[in-house]
Amino acid sequence: MKYASLLFAFVLLGCSGPGEPQTSTVGDASADGAPRIALVMKSLANEFFSTMADGAKKHQAEHADDYRLIVNGIKDERDLSRQVALVEEMVASGVDAIVIAPADSKALAPALRRAMQAGVVVVNIDNRLDVGVLQREKISIPFVGPDNKAGAKKVGDYLASKLTKGDAVAMLEGLRTSFNGAQRREGFEQAMRQAGIEIVANQSAEWEMSKANTIAAAMLSEHPQIKAILAANDSMALGAMAAVKSSGRGGEVQIVGFDNISAIKSAIGEGKVLATADQHGALLAVYGIEAALAMLENPEETPADIETPVELITAGTPTQ
Amino acid sequence: MLVQYAGLLIVLAVLVGVFSYGSENFFQKNTFVSIANQIPDLTLVAVGMTLVLIVGGIDLSVGSVLALSSAVLGVLMVQYGWPLWAAIPLCLLAAAACGLFNGMVSIGFGIPSFIVTLGMLEIARGATKVVTDSQLIYIGSAVEPIGEPLPGVLLSPAFLLAVAAVIVGQFLLTCTVFGRYCVAIGTNAEAVRMSGIRSAPYSISVFVISGVLCGLAGLAHASRLSSADPNAAIGIELSAIAACVIGGTSLMGGRGSVISSFIGVLIIAVLQTGLAQLGVSDAQKQIITGSVIVIAVIVDALRSRWVNEH
Amino acid sequence: MNRDANPLLDVAGATKRYAVTVLDHCNLQVRAGEIHALLGANGAGKSTLCKIIAGLLAPNAGHMTLAGQPYAPANKQAAEAAGVQIVQQELNLIPTLSVAENLLLNRLPARAGVIRRKELHVRARRALDRFGLSDVHTEALVGSLGVGRQQMLEVAAALDRPCKLLILDEPTAALSAAETKTLFQLLEQLRRQGAGVIYISHRLSEVAALAGRITVLRDGKYVCTQKASELSTEQMVDLMSGESSQQAARKIGNNIAAAASSEQVALRVEGLSRGIVQDVSFTLYRGECVGVAGLVGAGRTELLRAIYGADIAEAGRVYLGKAPRPHRFRHPGQAVAAGVAMVTEDRKQNGLLLSQSIKINTTLSAMWKRFSIGGLIRHRAEEQAVRSMCESLEIRSTSIFQTVGALSGGNQQKVAVGKWLVRDADVFLFDEPTRGIDVAARRRIYRLLESLARAGKAMLVVSSDLEELLEICDRIIVLSAGRVAGIFERDDWSAEKIMQAAFSGYVADTPVQATSRKPAQKTARKTTRRRP
Repeated sequence: MKYASLLFAFVLLGCSGPGEPQTSTVGDASADGAPRIALVMKSLANEFFSTMADGAKKHQAEHADDYRLIVNGIKDERDLSRQVALVEEMVASGVDAIVIAPADSKALAPALRRAMQAGVVVVNIDNRLDVGVLQREKISIPFVGPDNKAGAKKVGDYLASKLTKGDAVAMLEGLRTSFNGAQRREGFEQAMRQAGIEIVANQSAEWEMSKANTIAAAMLSEHPQIKAILAANDSMALGAMAAVKSSGRGGEVQIVGFDNISAIKSAIGEGKVLATADQHGALLAVYGIEAALAMLENPEETPADIETPVELITAGTPTQ
Repeated sequence: MLVQYAGLLIVLAVLVGVFSYGSENFFQKNTFVSIANQIPDLTLVAVGMTLVLIVGGIDLSVGSVLALSSAVLGVLMVQYGWPLWAAIPLCLLAAAACGLFNGMVSIGFGIPSFIVTLGMLEIARGATKVVTDSQLIYIGSAVEPIGEPLPGVLLSPAFLLAVAAVIVGQFLLTCTVFGRYCVAIGTNAEAVRMSGIRSAPYSISVFVISGVLCGLAGLAHASRLSSADPNAAIGIELSAIAACVIGGTSLMGGRGSVISSFIGVLIIAVLQTGLAQLGVSDAQKQIITGSVIVIAVIVDALRSRWVNEH
Repeated sequence: MNRDANPLLDVAGATKRYAVTVLDHCNLQVRAGEIHALLGANGAGKSTLCKIIAGLLAPNAGHMTLAGQPYAPANKQAAEAAGVQIVQQELNLIPTLSVAENLLLNRLPARAGVIRRKELHVRARRALDRFGLSDVHTEALVGSLGVGRQQMLEVAAALDRPCKLLILDEPTAALSAAETKTLFQLLEQLRRQGAGVIYISHRLSEVAALAGRITVLRDGKYVCTQKASELSTEQMVDLMSGESSQQAARKIGNNIAAAASSEQVALRVEGLSRGIVQDVSFTLYRGECVGVAGLVGAGRTELLRAIYGADIAEAGRVYLGKAPRPHRFRHPGQAVAAGVAMVTEDRKQNGLLLSQSIKINTTLSAMWKRFSIGGLIRHRAEEQAVRSMCESLEIRSTSIFQTVGALSGGNQQKVAVGKWLVRDADVFLFDEPTRGIDVAARRRIYRLLESLARAGKAMLVVSSDLEELLEICDRIIVLSAGRVAGIFERDDWSAEKIMQAAFSGYVADTPVQATSRKPAQKTARKTTRRRP
């Protein structure tokens, strides 16, 4: 029993561990009987998703009587099986709705189908589930999120306006299995094609800064004529920025990113990064939660996709 | 007999108690069913890892081999249209080949298995990306029967397979000459050699067994996701080693129990699920998980000291 | 016992219990300027008592004083700080570090964490010279030294620290005659400086020559303390065993020799070469016990290993029994399958699985042959066989599931031999079968050899203890610098002749002429047996 109490004390200690006492099951006491919504995120270590989660928590605090919220994320964007497990665990713990940013656009579909069969409302945010797979699973899940392709196109068009026809550029893709990554690539490609700019190199840096750094450095030495690097997210844009700097070509090579994370803002202000796109991540989860609440209220209605705005951010954009 | 597992079972019971107290939704059939259906891959990998650790080796390539076998399965079923039953043998064969490579190279050339399997970790992951073209392959309902709970029992065939692997593994370890020699080799390979026993076939077999179990885990993994994920099970080797160590398996070889490793897997899984249901933040999850691993090992060490003194 | 008024070390009522009581209210008083021998059979509690004094074990009861002050070291460091140094039976050096580093390991000269190499080697050199180890290079890796040199190094390391009381547990087991002599000189010097020495050895002649007083332990209990000069070695044995030596067989060797009567060849070695071993040939007959003598480094262990296939022979052939085809074993597994067994010298390194049970160790080699059906273990048959082995070899243990590492040296050796009795073989290769074990266990091992000889097994015994070989063997092969320097028969051997042969390879150009082998004569050499 000595061990048991020891362990118990330790677990409690761990729960109220370092930092602020952050109870993620927000609003337990106030909202008995209110629907419970599980927000299942990708990596909460990624600022984009932690901002999203914070936005959702803030929203819940303001609407404490309307619903309760459980937020969970995975360690690593690639840990699909853990996210599938999270969906199952949330279903097992009896939530009413799941709002999910799927780590993969295909692999999550069967788990979500099972969740729906168990009577849980499912809303898809951020990364769109594959339409073909949803059809094969015979389910329809509303998607709440930005049009990544259109956003990437905006960023690409802005970049093209700074370049001349026939220039060479390189592209750093996200994880190739990700729908968002594919959408952003297509948006970039479309913009470049229309402007007559050639993409001479194109590799995946799997959303990561250090990988992007290595790959961008290799690209720059392989293709010295590169005038710009298009990165499918800001982390990779920062990695590319460092590579440009260390190759001694700072200022000559334009960089664009996507997501508008806080670290990129100063880089844009200094002109080291040309542009990025803001899909208002903080509100994304909130949109999804609102959609889920609406579906819980009117179970009969067929839910429709909701497109959220994407904004082009450049040095000229006023900061909020 | 039960005393051997008492320390671990206490830890497990305390965890279940704490979570049941902390979340009204934890102590329910659904939760346990969902845990049971999540753990087949880790269990299968941990069984193989236990055996490898017992012979004094280590297998870091388990995650990659798991991914490779599920990729082989996915490609055969989706691109070549093979039925599940025909694809399974080839998927296991691929995994066994990886294990054979690990065993042959590390035993044959006397290279530490840490290095060889570290190499295989990269090789198999790369091969997985080649096979899948770095794309997730959606297989669909054809593989789901393995991961889907059986009607009535609520447990999936994959879980039953994992439990069977635990039982067979423990039997192999305690009731066969093979297992006895594995323990002996892990204790002192030179003494075993001087006893006139060739250790190579045993050690190599253990790596092959680990490979095959990774193949089965790949199968379970693919069926749970209905897809073959090229990034599957990254880092699972650490979870598996943690489960083994929680279960009292020595990283130096010569000591270990498959059942204890299984309890280690259960502890990790209960912890994961419980913390997710409480909605504990990610940072705290990691701190708590790490602490519980260390505490479990301390409790087990205290138990064995207690047993030795009485 | 007449208690001293003012001893250097006074141990009263020391008790240590595990599952069983291994040390039961033992007393020991060591005076300053005294070499005090501690005698007792295996498991008598000598090592336990020493470990308590050296801070390696905490006693369950009893108290100690050192130079009049209460003394209860919490650990080895505390004991060392108090001036108590121990050299244990098993070597505790780090083979991958240099001699100098090992010597000064816990007080490496350093500035800001960086080792000052020059000072390290100067200090090590000084210490080595002081202890008669001037031929050892301070930069040599300890692993590259022989066991005897390593043992001396341990003694040097202990003496290099401030030393009021030195504990030596079986220090000469691995030493050559010259090294032993150096050690004794050191001890004498230490004694004259007023330090106390606790000395454990199974070599009673050594004890008689060296020690001032003797304390005898038996079965964990204190028996007596007496002046060494008042005791004969026979009396020492009697005190240790608690029985009169009149009953004990003394010349067991004759019995073995008597059994060596068959003309049948068990093992024939022709021109075997491997490393230092060069062109060794001899024949071993069934029921015969042949000794292998030689200096340290003469290739004795290497010869056994080459026969056994532990090292692959470079040249030569090994014939077994009547089989006309020679063997060239590339792995011990082949040797075992052909009926050869080897009991290794170093139990810790390659003889036993120390962390495993007696059961697992005993049946290791015989699992496929005797204790399994289709790969499944026959647990009951196995346990039965192990129990009967433990009984017949009088292995002292709590159960057959006890870890071998927890047994005393002699009992460990019995397990190492018992393993092969369970497996069965035609030819037994023994490497130092009685190293580090007490008189009683030694006798038990001799009886075992005897019964093996009677059962028609052939034995090849390597031993550094020439007296032992002279006592038990039918013939002695002397190796010198890896070559056969002579094969001696019981009729015409003497310790002098054998020593001469052993040195011949290092001084003379040609080895001493080997005498021809005449096993048929052995039949005549029968002596009366005094013990059933």
